[in-house]
Amino acid sequence: MQSEPLLWQVRHFVYQNFADTTHPPSVGETAKHFEITNEEATELYKELHHRHAFFLDLETLNIRMANPFSGIPTDFKVTANGKTYFANCAWDMLGIPAALHTDAEIEAVCTESNEKVKIEIQNGNLRFTNYVIPKQSGVDDLRIHFPLPFSRWYDDLVFT
Amino acid sequence: MLLFQSEAWIDKWCKRNNLERGEVLTLDQVWKLSKLWYHNRMSIDYHGRNMEQVAEIFRQAGLVSGFWYS
Repeated sequence: MQSEPLLWQVRHFVYQNFADTTHPPSVGETAKHFEITNEEATELYKELHHRHAFFLDLETLNIRMANPFSGIPTDFKVTANGKTYFANCAWDMLGIPAALHTDAEIEAVCTESNEKVKIEIQNGNLRFTNYVIPKQSGVDDLRIHFPLPFSRWYDDLVFT
Repeated sequence: MLLFQSEAWIDKWCKRNNLERGEVLTLDQVWKLSKLWYHNRMSIDYHGRNMEQVAEIFRQAGLVSGFWYS
């Protein structure tokens, strides 16, 4: 096992890569950056997965989630700093501008009704929301549902 | 965590999927929680949180029901 400092440097590299490119680095890219072998980078990825630092697809070794960032397209699209990210969930769509400390424009799809909504973060405040196609019901009625308490979030992170 | 047009749509979704309803927050509440939860996520010094630290964030976000601490 590599050292603890390297482990957390890898976590930081993954997050910075997400912020810079909107994508997670592959095992090979991380290995090259730190001048370690692919096997060593794989072990570091797995250790960070087990510590819930990010969520790794253990079959492909692709990073599926480094909350709030998603490694795959979702219904929660966040444009910030001229880049377009995908968030893992409705909480994380607000988590991206919070993590990056930046303004953002968010496009999200409401579950069940499938209505599309736009949300803006400006100067640290939730400024403006509207439906892509304006509805009679107000955006003040929008809600985010937390199905499970924190103690169960990691039982099934994709469902959570 | 999913976005819904209103609480009524949450009830429909829970019923259709035979799921219990969890906790429901407004966008303003979740934005406040997001700033507390994610503000230091990009830092190299962020190594995760223990349960006490998580509970403190929920308290600061004004989330007081037992759901958040169960």
